[in-house]
Amino acid sequence: MGGTSSSEIIVQSTAAEYAPLILLLPMLAFPVILFLGKVFNGNPFWKNNLKEGGLIALTVMGASLILALAVARDFIGGFSSMEELSEWVWFTSATWESTTMMTKEISFGFGVHIDHITVMLLFIAAFLCFLINTFAIGYMNTDPINDNRNHRFYAEFVLFCSGMLGMVLADSFLWLFIFWELMGLCSYLLIGFYYERPSAAYAAKKAFLTTRVGDVFLMVGLAMLWGMFGSLDYDVIFNALEDENFMAGISSSTLQWTLGLMFIGAVGKSAQFPLHVWLPDAMEGPTPVSALIHAATMVNAGLYLVARMFPFFGAEALHGDLVDLAFIIAAIGGITAVMAAAIAFVQNDLKKVLAYSTMSQLAYIFTGLGCALWLANSLDWHHDSKAHGIVIVAFGAALFHLFNHAMAKGMLFMASGAVIHEVHHAHHHLHHHDDHQHESKHPKELVMLNDYLEQTGQTVYEFFKSIDLDGSGEIDMYEFQTALKNAEIADLPPWETEPLLAAIDLDGNEKINVPELEITLGNLKMDDHDHHEEEFDAQSMENMGGLASKMPITATAMLVGSLSIMGFPLIGGFWSKEGIIANAWRVALEDPRFFFPAACVLLGAGMTGFYMSRMWLKTFAGSPKTEVAAHVAPTNTWIKTPLFLLTFVSLAGIIFAGMGFTHWAPDEGYAPFFDGKKGLMEGILYEMEHAFANHDSFFFILSYVALILGAIIGPGLALSLYGGSLDEGEQAKPWFGPILALNAAIKGRYHWDNSALAQSSLATALSNRLYFDHYYDMAMLKIVAAFSFKAAEADSGVIDGAIKSIERGSQNLSTRVRALTTGSARDYILMAAVGTLALFGLIWGVA
Amino acid sequence: MTETTIEPFAEGFVMALAPEFVLVIGLFTLILVPNMGDAKFRIPLTQIRIPWFLGGKRGTLDRDPRLPGLFASIFLTVSFLMALASFVGGMERVNITTANGTELFRVDEFSRMFEVIFYGALSLASIASIDRLPATSTADRSLSGLYNNRRQVDFYILLMTCGLGMSVVALSQDLFMLFIGLELASFSTYVLVAFMKETPEGTESGMKYFIVGSVASGVGLYGLSLLYLWSGSLQFDGPGGLSEAFRTSGMEPLPLVALGLILVGFGFKVSAAPFHFAAPDAYAGATGPVAGVLATASKAMGILGLLRILLVVASPENTEGSAVWLVALGVLAAVTMTWGNLAALGSTNPKRMLAYSSVAHAGYMLAALTAVGVWSEDTAFADDASMAVVTALIFHLVVLVCFKLGAFLVLSILESEKGGHTLESLGGLAKREPLLAVAMFIFMMSLAGVPPLSGFVSKLLVIMGIVKVAVGGALVNGGTLNFSDLHWVWYLALLMVLNSAISVFYYLRVGLVMFFHEPEEGREGRLPSGKSIRFAVLACVMTTIYFGVGADQLITVCQSAANALLNVW
Repeated sequence: MGGTSSSEIIVQSTAAEYAPLILLLPMLAFPVILFLGKVFNGNPFWKNNLKEGGLIALTVMGASLILALAVARDFIGGFSSMEELSEWVWFTSATWESTTMMTKEISFGFGVHIDHITVMLLFIAAFLCFLINTFAIGYMNTDPINDNRNHRFYAEFVLFCSGMLGMVLADSFLWLFIFWELMGLCSYLLIGFYYERPSAAYAAKKAFLTTRVGDVFLMVGLAMLWGMFGSLDYDVIFNALEDENFMAGISSSTLQWTLGLMFIGAVGKSAQFPLHVWLPDAMEGPTPVSALIHAATMVNAGLYLVARMFPFFGAEALHGDLVDLAFIIAAIGGITAVMAAAIAFVQNDLKKVLAYSTMSQLAYIFTGLGCALWLANSLDWHHDSKAHGIVIVAFGAALFHLFNHAMAKGMLFMASGAVIHEVHHAHHHLHHHDDHQHESKHPKELVMLNDYLEQTGQTVYEFFKSIDLDGSGEIDMYEFQTALKNAEIADLPPWETEPLLAAIDLDGNEKINVPELEITLGNLKMDDHDHHEEEFDAQSMENMGGLASKMPITATAMLVGSLSIMGFPLIGGFWSKEGIIANAWRVALEDPRFFFPAACVLLGAGMTGFYMSRMWLKTFAGSPKTEVAAHVAPTNTWIKTPLFLLTFVSLAGIIFAGMGFTHWAPDEGYAPFFDGKKGLMEGILYEMEHAFANHDSFFFILSYVALILGAIIGPGLALSLYGGSLDEGEQAKPWFGPILALNAAIKGRYHWDNSALAQSSLATALSNRLYFDHYYDMAMLKIVAAFSFKAAEADSGVIDGAIKSIERGSQNLSTRVRALTTGSARDYILMAAVGTLALFGLIWGVA
Repeated sequence: MTETTIEPFAEGFVMALAPEFVLVIGLFTLILVPNMGDAKFRIPLTQIRIPWFLGGKRGTLDRDPRLPGLFASIFLTVSFLMALASFVGGMERVNITTANGTELFRVDEFSRMFEVIFYGALSLASIASIDRLPATSTADRSLSGLYNNRRQVDFYILLMTCGLGMSVVALSQDLFMLFIGLELASFSTYVLVAFMKETPEGTESGMKYFIVGSVASGVGLYGLSLLYLWSGSLQFDGPGGLSEAFRTSGMEPLPLVALGLILVGFGFKVSAAPFHFAAPDAYAGATGPVAGVLATASKAMGILGLLRILLVVASPENTEGSAVWLVALGVLAAVTMTWGNLAALGSTNPKRMLAYSSVAHAGYMLAALTAVGVWSEDTAFADDASMAVVTALIFHLVVLVCFKLGAFLVLSILESEKGGHTLESLGGLAKREPLLAVAMFIFMMSLAGVPPLSGFVSKLLVIMGIVKVAVGGALVNGGTLNFSDLHWVWYLALLMVLNSAISVFYYLRVGLVMFFHEPEEGREGRLPSGKSIRFAVLACVMTTIYFGVGADQLITVCQSAANALLNVW
């Protein structure tokens, strides 16, 4: 292709020159914190004054934030076209092009690409990483379980942040992918921070492997993209998209497949159906990690990737060719929005509700992006200014929702962390003398078998091989009986062996294979561990209630965050959610396929209203459900400060909307507020008019339907079912008064018994997460595990055997070769003479 | 770009050869200063005594055994910086020619680049050697001999003559000058290897190195004289020079025999198999810094000689079709890299392991050199490809100083507690000296060619260069790429990749021992060694990383050096 790959600096801005520092600072802090933490582990200054590295992390995140703000300021203040800033060239290599008979330079390096999407995500990531870091100091360092290992947390934390910041700043899909994977690694490390808990280790593996499935597709997609464009630089690709001659040689259907594969990567990273299973389990990590993954970094990466695809859909040469993919993106969003919201209905774990809410809200953004991409691909927006406005606003609404959701969700997670932290403390305070002894629910023979394996140090596989007498690869009842006898566990008659066998036999063929045995013993270990750990669940909303009076700031933050997610009028998420719903229906009117996602997001609005209200009411309203909840104390300043700040950001949604965020975020040409053409009040009034008094009667009705569903019906149902007034004598802050009064009134008047519904098969299915995990596990067991054991055998026999023999062979050869170095100079000269003759022979032979 | 021609000792001569003159001044200083005393000279028949200073009772300062090391380090570093500074703001090219038109020296980017390599390696070795003396004189007999400042002077004088000889090789435009420089440097290294005469290994290895080396030199000299006999000229370039003679009648038997003999001579210098046998013994017997110099600067000198002879004198353009030495050098490269890696695989002495690894690296460099010999119809392409390969070669030699010498310096620190001769003496280094272990690990990773370290970039550049030569020729002819169109040098690149894979095994083993094995009995706590050698190691680590991450700058400089050699100004 004809484009040059060397990036040129379009506009010089001092802040942008330092932009690489935004990601380099945290990246360099990673080894520093890790190293200092190892060296000064337990040192009182390190522990109390430096918070085990927390303050170092906070400093670099603060510096990153300041630099990010400087970049944003320069960008907004007139440098709005600084797109390519190549910063660091690793090395340049000239390649010979046969077609042009010229040498072309290919440089390997890292550059910074700054446009509107970058600036927005950069701000979100840097701002939230900084706040979450503040929160983490209050959260992690006050928990004795983390003592002397917080440096690991902070080191991985800053690496995670640098991964996100790097991904946003990178100037090519290749670097995007590299940082994307860096985040994958960090998510694994942080979700598994409490790796001594099997459930955390399991969740970390699950998150890593599930996102890996998406990443493989992304990698294939990127390879295809490289094949088509000869480069992965945004600059090169986006220029090529404008080049009609070049685009004539590109097959649009192949390109659609390519982008589709890349989209699967985004589905994995942003936890959308069907790769959503890792997100709820990821709650095993410490709460700051949940906040980081859900608000600031990881899940936004998938959205960012889809947003980066906009130029493909907007290219004139591809007009109308990519609508199918746009539909798929919107439909995946629609499915996930409803599914995740439904599962959130029945969750009792505070953090899990939020996890499903994240999934559902991200789905909104995907739907919004899908619609915007459809509009960009099918409208003639390059020439028609009205169409241009529609495309820009649709894209902007999705991005605005990303912003609002990140702010609200970061706040919600931190607030939930504060609640859990304090409930946990209160529990610890009350019960720290109790020591429970639990009986395992598993058969005692299996427990003994597990102990036997641990004592003898055998792996399950070795044990299995030793008891598989006929070598069939499966254990029948007779073999199992013999094995138990030989291991001196129990000498059981067949009829008592049978239930034991059935407990292991997962697929019901009355025989045991290796994966079944491994899974059963694994579950046993995990359950035992959980039992010993703690009976009291500090995350369960069943143990809370009435906390509004105990933790006023947290309750307020949680309330504002919930309202923002629900789309309560005038607060944060309202503006963007209305926009997404409106655009989905706008597209649906043009393309009937889109009725599905459009209906989903509309329905989802009501569902969101219900589960978010339910969560708040169960936690903060009503009377305390346990003794523990009655003794919760307010939280510390490190935790309160970020909550306080984010509350205002979410409340200020109307100001952002008035500033024309939805117009500005996606489009450089449109900046009504920043160039002073339109005042703030004017902008706010314009947005209000648009939202509440739309001239188009269809959208007028639609906006009120969404409003009623999300802000009245959903919350109303929750109000009638959950919560209630606080206990006698408990005094809440005045702004909770109306809510609690309304709650008490509705609950008193319209309360209905939902136990029948709660026990229905649908509710059971929902609380089992619609059996997705179950079926995935089954599929793994039947197909992947069986195959992988065959592969393991082949590996140890064929490949390892070959490697071993190569190794042995080369060591033998090495001994022989070294034996020629006799140590006698005579022999050396002889060898040199032989070499000389050989050289003569070779030169003569040629000449 | 300016180019001036001056006669020896004419105006501007001293400035043009400033780094060399600094070394000469340094030599005199080293000889004079430790002999300064209170000697007085009595004018005969009078009682007037004039202070004469040379001889007599020496003061405390000039009796200090560390003084020579300090002086040598300063002079070598100054030379190094002067050579480096000549790259700043455009190089002034100077030809030094006798009145009758015989070209002696040429100062350009190419020769200066090699001087940077030589002086850099030597000054690091010199700095590292200062601290090989313990703080106070000990009862240990082998050490008390070393604790004599005159003995120390010998060592550093040899280091400096070595540097002088090497730079003469770099500058020379003439077979005679080339040989003089070669021998000056070689003889210095023979003695340096045997410098630890108190130990049996030192003497034995020095002797062996000398015997095999002098045989190789003799053979090489015979080749050089045959060339002179055939062409009647000692000049590489210019009218009536060797280059022209090759162009007219390069395929006669006499020059071919000469070429074969010269290959043997330089083959020993770069330790190409099967001329490498003395190298492992020499490295194991010599002290760490000297072994480091042998593996880097001395090797660079050999490659430099080969570049001059093979590319300037017997270059492919001069012989129509691929160079006559192509097959011979290709086979030599293949044998050398494989042999080196196989032998290193089982070595348990880290110094011998590094020696064999340096044989393997010689193989990689010879492979690159082979690729330059491939002839292409398209001269523009041929120039381009040769440029890339020679650039890669020079880059490789530069970064080799960083990590190969660095590795030897780490072993030298271990020598301070009589370790460094067995792999197990490195055991538990990570616990005893974490930073040193990390440094050693970085060197090993760079030797293995792990990104983003400089060893990776150099290997990548060499492989890309070879593949470019192999593929590019095919593309120019056909347009589409058939496997059969690939030139066979392609297999050298493949072999290099395979060999790199093998080498990872023994490089990683060092890391394994350092990080996971327990220290040997009796070895515990920090190592007894001074600051200066640690400073040298630090410098090596920094440059290893810097030239990996910031490779582009060094590549540009190497390109200008390659340009100067290939006359593509």
